[in-house]
Amino acid sequence: MNPFHAIQGAMRRALSRKRMIGLYWLFHTLCAALAAVPLMGFIVPHLARSRYGEELLRQFDFMWITELLGITRDSPLTVSGAAAAAAACLAMLGSLFLAGGAVKLIVFEAVPYSPSEFWEGCGRCFWRLLRLMLYSLLFFGAVLLVDGLLNKGARKLWGEGMVEEPLVLALWFRQTLMVLLLGFVVTAMDFSKVRLVADDSRRSLRAAFGSVRFVWAHMRFFFPAWLVLGAIWLLGTWLYVQVSKRIDAVTMPSILFLIVLQQVYVVFRIALRMLSWGTAAEFEQALRPKPEEPAPVMAAVSTEPPSFEASEAEDFSI
Amino acid sequence: MIMRYLLPLLFSAGLCSGQFATPIASYDIKAILDTKTHTIAGSEVLTWVNDSPDTVPALQFHLYMNAFRNSQSTFFKESGGQLRGDKFKGDEWGWVKVNSMKIEGGADLTGAIKFIAPDDGNTEDRTVIEVTLPQPVKPHESLRIAIDFTTKTPMVFARTGFHGDFYLGGQWFPKIGVWETAGFRYSSRGAWNCHQFHANSEFFANFGDYRVELTVPSHMVVGATGEQVRRAENTLNNTTTYTFRQDSVTDFAWTVQPNYIREERMFAADQETTPEEIAAVAKLHNIPVQDVRLSDVKMIAMVQPEHREQIERHFTSLRTALKWFGLWYGHYPYKTITVVDPPYGAGGAGGMEYPTFITAGTSWRLPKRALTLEMVTVHEFGHQFWMQLVANNEFEESWLDEGFNTYSTGKVLDKAFGPSTLPVKLYDLDLWSFLKLPRFTQESVDRTAYLSGPVEDDLVRRSWEYYSSASYGLNSYMRTGVTLRTLEGLLGAGTMARVMRAYHQRWRFRHPTSRDFQKVVNEVSGRNMDWFFDQFVFGNRLLDYAVGSVSSVRQRTPMGAFEKDGSMNVVTRKDAEEIDVKNEGNKSFKQQYLCTVKIQRRGDAVAPVEAVIHFSDGSTEKRTWDGSYRWVKYTFLRNAAVDWVQIDPERKYQLDVSYANNGWQSKYNIALSTHWTGNFLFWFQNLLLWMTAIA
Repeated sequence: MNPFHAIQGAMRRALSRKRMIGLYWLFHTLCAALAAVPLMGFIVPHLARSRYGEELLRQFDFMWITELLGITRDSPLTVSGAAAAAAACLAMLGSLFLAGGAVKLIVFEAVPYSPSEFWEGCGRCFWRLLRLMLYSLLFFGAVLLVDGLLNKGARKLWGEGMVEEPLVLALWFRQTLMVLLLGFVVTAMDFSKVRLVADDSRRSLRAAFGSVRFVWAHMRFFFPAWLVLGAIWLLGTWLYVQVSKRIDAVTMPSILFLIVLQQVYVVFRIALRMLSWGTAAEFEQALRPKPEEPAPVMAAVSTEPPSFEASEAEDFSI
Repeated sequence: MIMRYLLPLLFSAGLCSGQFATPIASYDIKAILDTKTHTIAGSEVLTWVNDSPDTVPALQFHLYMNAFRNSQSTFFKESGGQLRGDKFKGDEWGWVKVNSMKIEGGADLTGAIKFIAPDDGNTEDRTVIEVTLPQPVKPHESLRIAIDFTTKTPMVFARTGFHGDFYLGGQWFPKIGVWETAGFRYSSRGAWNCHQFHANSEFFANFGDYRVELTVPSHMVVGATGEQVRRAENTLNNTTTYTFRQDSVTDFAWTVQPNYIREERMFAADQETTPEEIAAVAKLHNIPVQDVRLSDVKMIAMVQPEHREQIERHFTSLRTALKWFGLWYGHYPYKTITVVDPPYGAGGAGGMEYPTFITAGTSWRLPKRALTLEMVTVHEFGHQFWMQLVANNEFEESWLDEGFNTYSTGKVLDKAFGPSTLPVKLYDLDLWSFLKLPRFTQESVDRTAYLSGPVEDDLVRRSWEYYSSASYGLNSYMRTGVTLRTLEGLLGAGTMARVMRAYHQRWRFRHPTSRDFQKVVNEVSGRNMDWFFDQFVFGNRLLDYAVGSVSSVRQRTPMGAFEKDGSMNVVTRKDAEEIDVKNEGNKSFKQQYLCTVKIQRRGDAVAPVEAVIHFSDGSTEKRTWDGSYRWVKYTFLRNAAVDWVQIDPERKYQLDVSYANNGWQSKYNIALSTHWTGNFLFWFQNLLLWMTAIA
């Protein structure tokens, strides 16, 4: 299996679950609204009937933000911060919950989508995925630690150096390494989810470490696939930025068009997430050795009737 | 014996003579830099002129470098060892030691030196000394004093010091204070103005002529205040002695580093300005064209090799500043201007101004539209006008230099460079421009900063007496910028331009106060603006006008009993309603509205303000309110409802803390609500998607 075949298979799996993508979008939108609406609660009364609002719509000016904070005495920050934190918690737990159903339906391609199948997966896998997420913090923490140590090392090595360029190049190197390492951990954790669901296993810790080992051992498959997925994300993002930059969002039609475009981009990102699970499922199917089924035991059949002893009699009774 | 020179009568006025200033404190300095010990062995001969009618019994000197002597200095106690984002590290402290002090050919004053702390009584502070003279200096006499000193430069974190093989020599030699006679600035009696070195303060000095011989290792590239007039190799010890001269300045600074790229360009005045520009300025100020013409200046840039591709940006910034500051306030009178780009790790030396010598600062591969380099270069150059030529006391009235310069710099940058971005990069990609994030003018930057902090102080205070460093910064820079723009709004751009030029010209090579500026404002504008200064300069009033409420009530047919022809005629509710319904169907009927607009003064500042009330039939009413009470009500009986109301339509009052509540419109802005809700939703969606990538 080459990475393109894997992604092709993943696309097939993801596209057959469009309703699931819709559900994901709805969930993220509701969580985001939980954070956005309180913020708008400050902004709308402040500007909706102010002529300054028209001006800001045409040309945004940062001084309005400090003006708002000055007048409302930091309350937007407090309220919106609390709302954003609540939204983040909800999104995190909700995503974990939904991942169970989503990964199940992506892994078991033959199972037709139905709400009951989906929610069954959500409920069944929630705790094991929660544990997996907590274990994954170890790996993410390790990546951050590597980054911190590299940064410290670079600064120590550079000491009182008088040129900025090497430090910036070191930063770029660090950033690249961080992206690669984070990509590796995310890929491994996606694979762990698939593995947990495919095996219907509860051994999250074993799945986490096993997946890291497995993905590392099969980097020649996973890394190109990860690069392709990254390139798709970059392309989609670039397209979004280029198109959105050209929209002069001051009239209602153009604003609505921008909103639609933004939501298309969000759906694109969700689909990409499904695609990465689908890729992991393809690799899981193709690369992971399956436990061998026990071969049938061929034994000579005696013509003599067996002698019945107590223990054997118990066996027969099973 | 004291050498006394009876000075010509022209000194007595203490004013500038011709193009340059009367020298009061002139220095002839010889300094040898030892790069192994980071010390400077120096000797100076100070010629000090007592241009006052007072008899001066003692002298006071600044020993600025002692601010870095230990953690007990006033500077260190106030700053906590960090300034402008840079922190003091390691144990490379700095100090200056006066080895000997003698009146030339006369008495040895070394034994008479005593440390004083006129501002805070900190006995551990060694930044000011007083020397009692054996014989007082009589009015209009001068005195020559020879001082031997040793300066140990600190590891740079606050303007001066060394970093690797880079040196920035600022505040490095013993410098006499300013004798203020009664009537000079705020003085009611003759006394020295010689403040300790504080964390939130800069400097104050008389004008003088400087001649400095600087001996440094030969491989060093050197830059300094003034013109280099001599260069002599000392083959015996592999050093080179550079001689610099500059008349009519208040300080002297220098820099050395072996790998500077030193480039020169000429500011050719005739090529940089057009006859039309000159004529426009001459017309505005009603002065002869020759008084507007600028002079040629040699521009010197000393840039780090890794910033090689930004050399021309330094020169472009200098060119722009020389042109517009020169045209607006008067020509730059010196022959050179040197801009220094300190190396990485020596950022504390950047963004500083000395006469004819400024330090800027940039970063590797700075995006083109991020104008931080231009901003800092133009700003530091601007100090040649506000601090160097118009030499206010920076210790006591920092708004007169930092704030005036913020105002001027903003105008130059907005005019010449347009809106800027922030240097936000992803690898080498200018992320700010790529994402097309909003650009901002300096005017907007200043007001953003002004609104970011509460007003805790009057604009004018002694720099170490502000509530906090942040308050010092906010008041001295951005709030002043906004205050002067508000003044410009009230006076008009033309009058403000005349005020600024008149103030600059009148106080060039002199030492003005805030009250002197106030006098110029009143005089040039022909208006009494004391109310403005009392509230916004010498006070801390908050300005906030707001549209309180707006209503347009449709006039119904009156009901009830009305006297008609001597008898009571009753219009019943039903009759009135029927008439109203009939009127509604009648296209020729002109419906009347009782329109009420209430405007509030929510701040404690009282200032006259204009309001425009626009009606849906296109008609407009203008009102001017003196703001004396907390609110005012305007009522109109019109055939149209109020469409919109705008207070201060020309945005004269940039000091107003809310533009949003200055305007009201009848139409609910659904586009804005939709657009921003959509944006916030999108940003949060993406944020959550990133966050839940681990879920």
